[in-house]
Amino acid sequence: MGMILKIALRNIGRHKRRTVLSAITIAAGLMAFICMDSLLTGVDRMSIDNLINLSAGALKVQTAAYEKEKDSFPLTFALDSALAPLAASLAKQKGVRHVTPRTQFLGQLSNYEETVPVVGTVIDPAADTLVFGLKPCLSGAYFGPDNIREIIIGKQLAQDLGVGVGDNITLYALTKYDSRNADVFKIAGLLSTADPGINHSGVFMTYAAANDFLDLENSVTELDVAIAKDNSLPHFSRTVQGIQKNLQRDFPSLRVNTFLDLGAGVMELTRAKRASGFIIMGIILIIAVVGIFNTVFMSVYERIREIGVLRAHGMRPRDISTMFVLEGVITGLLGSALGVATGSLLNMQLVTAGIPMEKIGGSIATASYGVAGTVYGQWNIPAMTVVFLLGISVATLAGIIPARRASKIQVTEALRFT
Amino acid sequence: MALLDIKNVTKEYRKGDKSVAALNGVDLAIEKGEFLSIVGPSGSGKSTLLNIVGCLDTPTSGSVLYNGRELGGLTERQLSDYRRDNIAFIFQSYNLIPVLTVQENVELPLVIERKYSKSDMARKAVAVIESVGLGTMADRLPRELSGGQEQRVAIARALVKDPLVVLADEPTANLDSATAEDVISIMQRMNTDRATTFVFSTHDLRMERHAKRIVTLRDGAIEKDERRQ
Repeated sequence: MGMILKIALRNIGRHKRRTVLSAITIAAGLMAFICMDSLLTGVDRMSIDNLINLSAGALKVQTAAYEKEKDSFPLTFALDSALAPLAASLAKQKGVRHVTPRTQFLGQLSNYEETVPVVGTVIDPAADTLVFGLKPCLSGAYFGPDNIREIIIGKQLAQDLGVGVGDNITLYALTKYDSRNADVFKIAGLLSTADPGINHSGVFMTYAAANDFLDLENSVTELDVAIAKDNSLPHFSRTVQGIQKNLQRDFPSLRVNTFLDLGAGVMELTRAKRASGFIIMGIILIIAVVGIFNTVFMSVYERIREIGVLRAHGMRPRDISTMFVLEGVITGLLGSALGVATGSLLNMQLVTAGIPMEKIGGSIATASYGVAGTVYGQWNIPAMTVVFLLGISVATLAGIIPARRASKIQVTEALRFT
Repeated sequence: MALLDIKNVTKEYRKGDKSVAALNGVDLAIEKGEFLSIVGPSGSGKSTLLNIVGCLDTPTSGSVLYNGRELGGLTERQLSDYRRDNIAFIFQSYNLIPVLTVQENVELPLVIERKYSKSDMARKAVAVIESVGLGTMADRLPRELSGGQEQRVAIARALVKDPLVVLADEPTANLDSATAEDVISIMQRMNTDRATTFVFSTHDLRMERHAKRIVTLRDGAIEKDERRQ
């Protein structure tokens, strides 16, 4: 085996340019996959974080009746009597950091020339900032606790209506008792988030304002829960699902949904992105297979006489085959190691510095992926290990066919070959 | 009993629709320690006969016996083992492995045999390299050698495993006169000292001159078989 390995290694060194080209083909494939996987994982994580930070929280608790009618955002199916025991139970759950109430309603916003349908969200300004991340996306002012004459709206919505911070605008909605109401509010701030729903149709007001405008009487239709941050999404998901299970057991009349349930669309998109990533990886690997196959085949063709000599000296066909397979394995090992090394270096940059979304597709990318700002890569060691082994396996398989062919060449023909 | 007994061997090749006879009923018995030259014009069947004796090729009919053992019907693996254990080859164009040094090329048959330790292989290789006068060139690659030096390495490679039979196909064809004489004298010395059987095909009259037995082939058949003292 030692001599076979020695011959294989030296032949690889003998055709440096060809070996380097083949190794680079594999390395480029692996590097591209590592970076792409890192960015996709980063985008996934970012869109999930955005989902949690802007609209879903880690957990959302509503009444079962509300969930059935949720598309109309009814004010009547409030948590009310369940609120206090629910808050007490949540306080005991391990991992729960903060809880905030929210109440959503449908309305219309008008500048007297144009009327736009909106989704209103009533918030507790102080508690909401502990669960949701609206404040960093805000231009203008946030609410004070007793603010009853101000609203915050989506930036795109403001642009559609031609209004800005400090302008007055009329909001129409049905009160809790189904009577139509309209009032003028001053725009305190504009929200530019990664959630197009908030940007295009989001209106936020305090419970103080909603008690006055919607006769809300502090009715809370959902309780949103923040769970301790965790870099591992699977671990975080398990924690959240554990709390969901406990709450659902203790409050069977309520409906407890996790961000995974609420973000089914985002999760579906994540799976689709993963699938496209693997298709691209497959194409890259096919290119690598052709490269390695060509390299080993050329090597066999150039060394037919050498094969004849080795066979004449009694080397068995299997050993001849092993020698050429080894060349494929070594080339694959070189390429895979190079790919993982360069991929890791590039990924380090993606993880630390990130890429501004604008540079990879602007508003289209922002809308498609539900993220905005800078996307940061994520380390995915299991995926890196898999592609490293895959690179070597593919190179080995690509070397097997020409190697088998080499072992079957007739000795006399090989010795006559010029 | 002859070391190698070739009995009524024919070899036919297909050339399109036609069948061409390269050997036509050859009978030849080769004793241990012979220094036998096969001569004849191009196309007379010299290389084909050597290939069949060396189990690199199989006869269309007839049989080849080695120490009384019939070689026909051996599997590919058994043929490899037969060559490995009994036969050594010297080729006209040396056919050294270009990525291996002189010593590694010489060690190659021992590596294939898998009988020796690393140190034993090195010791045997160095001894035989010195015996062909290349003691200072053990670490060189074939591309750093002259044609004559390469052929000496090929001889060393053939002799390192102490084979009973060395088959050489035109071993001096690519060498100048002085180098050819050197190579012939090395082969003669090995024949005398180790009783190694040499069977070589040649067009070279100098080689013929040193042969103890000359078999002349013509049109695939033995025309003359003469022994010398």
